[in-house]
Amino acid sequence: MPSNISNSSGLQRLIAQLAPLLIVSALVFALPVLLNNDFLLNKVARYLVLGILTISLGLSWGFGGILNLGQAMSFGLGSYAMAMALKLKTVPVHTGASGLPDFMVWNNVQHLPWFWEPFRSLSFAIAAGLLVPALVAAGLGWFMFRGRVTGVYVSIITLATMVVINLVIIDQQSYTGGFNGITDLAQLELFGVAFDAYGRATYYLVAGCVLLSLLIAFAFTKSRAGLIVQAIRDHESRVRYFGYDVALYQIFVFALSAAIAGLAGMLYTVVMEFASPTFLGVQLSLSVVVWCAVGGRQSLVGAFLGAVLVAGMQGALSESAAFLETWTLVMGALFVLVVLFLPKGLAGLAQATCRWVAQRRQAASGAVGRGVSQTEGST
Amino acid sequence: MSISRRTLLRNTAALGAFAGAGLPHIWIKNADLAYAAGGEIKVGVLFSLTGTTAIIEESLNKATLLAIEEINAAGGIKGSKIVPIVEDPASDPATFSEKARKLVVGDKCVSVFGSYTSASRKAVLPVFERQNNLYWYPTLYEGRECSKNVIYTGAVPNQQQDEFVPWLVKKFGKKFYLIGSNYIYPKEENNYCKKLLEKLGGEVVAEEYVPLGHSEFSSVINKIRSTQPNVIFSTVVGDSVVALHRQYKAAGLDPEKMPMASLTTSENEVAAMGGEAAAGHFTSAPYFMVHKSPENEKFVEAYKKRWGADKVTHFVSEACYFQTYLFKQAVEKLATSDLTPPNIRDAVKGQEVIAPQGKVRIEPENLHTWLWPKIAQAKSNGQFEILVEAKDWLKPVPYAAYPGQSCTEKGLVEKS
Repeated sequence: MPSNISNSSGLQRLIAQLAPLLIVSALVFALPVLLNNDFLLNKVARYLVLGILTISLGLSWGFGGILNLGQAMSFGLGSYAMAMALKLKTVPVHTGASGLPDFMVWNNVQHLPWFWEPFRSLSFAIAAGLLVPALVAAGLGWFMFRGRVTGVYVSIITLATMVVINLVIIDQQSYTGGFNGITDLAQLELFGVAFDAYGRATYYLVAGCVLLSLLIAFAFTKSRAGLIVQAIRDHESRVRYFGYDVALYQIFVFALSAAIAGLAGMLYTVVMEFASPTFLGVQLSLSVVVWCAVGGRQSLVGAFLGAVLVAGMQGALSESAAFLETWTLVMGALFVLVVLFLPKGLAGLAQATCRWVAQRRQAASGAVGRGVSQTEGST
Repeated sequence: MSISRRTLLRNTAALGAFAGAGLPHIWIKNADLAYAAGGEIKVGVLFSLTGTTAIIEESLNKATLLAIEEINAAGGIKGSKIVPIVEDPASDPATFSEKARKLVVGDKCVSVFGSYTSASRKAVLPVFERQNNLYWYPTLYEGRECSKNVIYTGAVPNQQQDEFVPWLVKKFGKKFYLIGSNYIYPKEENNYCKKLLEKLGGEVVAEEYVPLGHSEFSSVINKIRSTQPNVIFSTVVGDSVVALHRQYKAAGLDPEKMPMASLTTSENEVAAMGGEAAAGHFTSAPYFMVHKSPENEKFVEAYKKRWGADKVTHFVSEACYFQTYLFKQAVEKLATSDLTPPNIRDAVKGQEVIAPQGKVRIEPENLHTWLWPKIAQAKSNGQFEILVEAKDWLKPVPYAAYPGQSCTEKGLVEKS
């Protein structure tokens, strides 16, 4: 903030910027103690995963200026990578000697396809869950950004690509489980810890990934590359005239965002206990944009909270008897109101409030005969 | 929510235990929590009220609620009222899973009635299996499932086809054109149909799958024209059913020479496409609204009185209705203190009830239902005319297309 004139050493500013991130993460970690209810924790874990997905969109949209309407594609690919590994773990138990996942048997598949083989290794699956979305995004980005595709066309291409992959997954049901997705999975086990979807271990796994994603995204936005990406967002041609390879930076932020979405997708499979083509569907993908807009796309914490709050509210509204029939309408109206009156989302509102408080305080300390505490009391 | 001293103490204790035990912390649930507390038996009702399948699922919600209201009005179950907790899973598998968790873990429902699509059933299955709860699934489906936590009250392929396919071959001929939506249900039905045709010396002239929601059938109709099948065997679902029938009629094809034989076209789909487009085509199902029986007259009348005179009943909503009565009978057999989902499952084995379609029974081995297959022809007034009624009820064989595999009380058994 340029208006901040108090002796701002770099470190102090960094701490100030990190504060919301750390406070939110601390709250996420503290929740199990406050909320003594495993069912609610399981539910919150799902919202947190959607929050990670929204952080990833915030990174590419808010900081990179790339509105990816197909963000759920990366999410879905991550989800399927994890589901494939967990499905293969059930094979000796559930399907007898044939050694094939059940839906392949139903589709008269004789041998495990080659691209399923490596998923016997969980480490491979986790690497794939991060790298496949990142590589797909990098490839797509290479075509788009090298070809100087911008703005709405990027959105159209990303959306269309996601729909294509979605249709391929539904169509190739002998290898993907088709419309039903991949269901009936084993539990994830990592380092001897079993991650039961209803257990606290899973909650902490998700919470840890929230912190990790926020930190990685934050570190990127503060890095030199991150600053250039933001400069590209604000004035692409000027950055190009400076001699930067604009496309390269765009591809990088696009791929990083996809990898974080892939991480969220893997967690989603663990929390939901299945993978479905709806995880890379248009509906989810557009919801992410809404969450990001409500939370504030230029704030990572804002985007994250936007997802958690809106998805949580959606759940609460649809479960209250009063709104059972009208909850979609209420959600729509809320979204319209936020976009009309809070163009920078909740994060923008919070920032404006902070700024206003700081100005009041400055004005108060400047004014003669007025106590600071008095001003604080009035806010 | 105010924090009492006791919860505060418990939370503090939990914090301590947590610090000591590390991450893999297991909470022991209060397993014998009363499912019938305070004269109330909580059940979940999980049908989409919004989203793509809302139209059909709303009718399932209504049939279920009607049965619950009737049971409560007649004094409930041994004095306890059934309290339905209705949730809207919004036609989305992830939301289905979330709401199922809410009903099973959060609300502690003793059973949940729900789902129309297989995808949504598959999405909630882990919840019911892990929590050892009970799901009541009313839809006809592809079979090949052998869960101990689901009661299946819709037809499986053998119950829709064993009578139907030979009848079609005899009446129209041996050349079949198989058309379905592209997912597991039509593929499984066609697998079974091909097996039957093989035995009857029939021939499949084409097997084609269109994407879900597909509505442009001109190339299919051209292909039908060029292959000239005797029967168009359709497992197309949803909006595609409407489009296929309308375009068939617009193309001037004649149901008397080349009828569509469907496993999925009910009164509900006919109402959406208009009776004119449906007239002359055939459907095989255990129930039709015009079926003559005192139980059905009562059901149709009550349904119309409760939800509107223009409403139709169909083979899935009928299953919703009778399965709620099967639930009642199972609960009646149990002492209140024994009321748990697994006990209800065991009590419902072999239970019989006189449903609108006839007397049905839960097969103890595979938890599917003995049903009464019927073949009917659609009329232009939007109703069907029942042409063939099975002489006897038919055993459900969920693995009929796969010799050597069968669903037993011990689970899936494979003989190789």
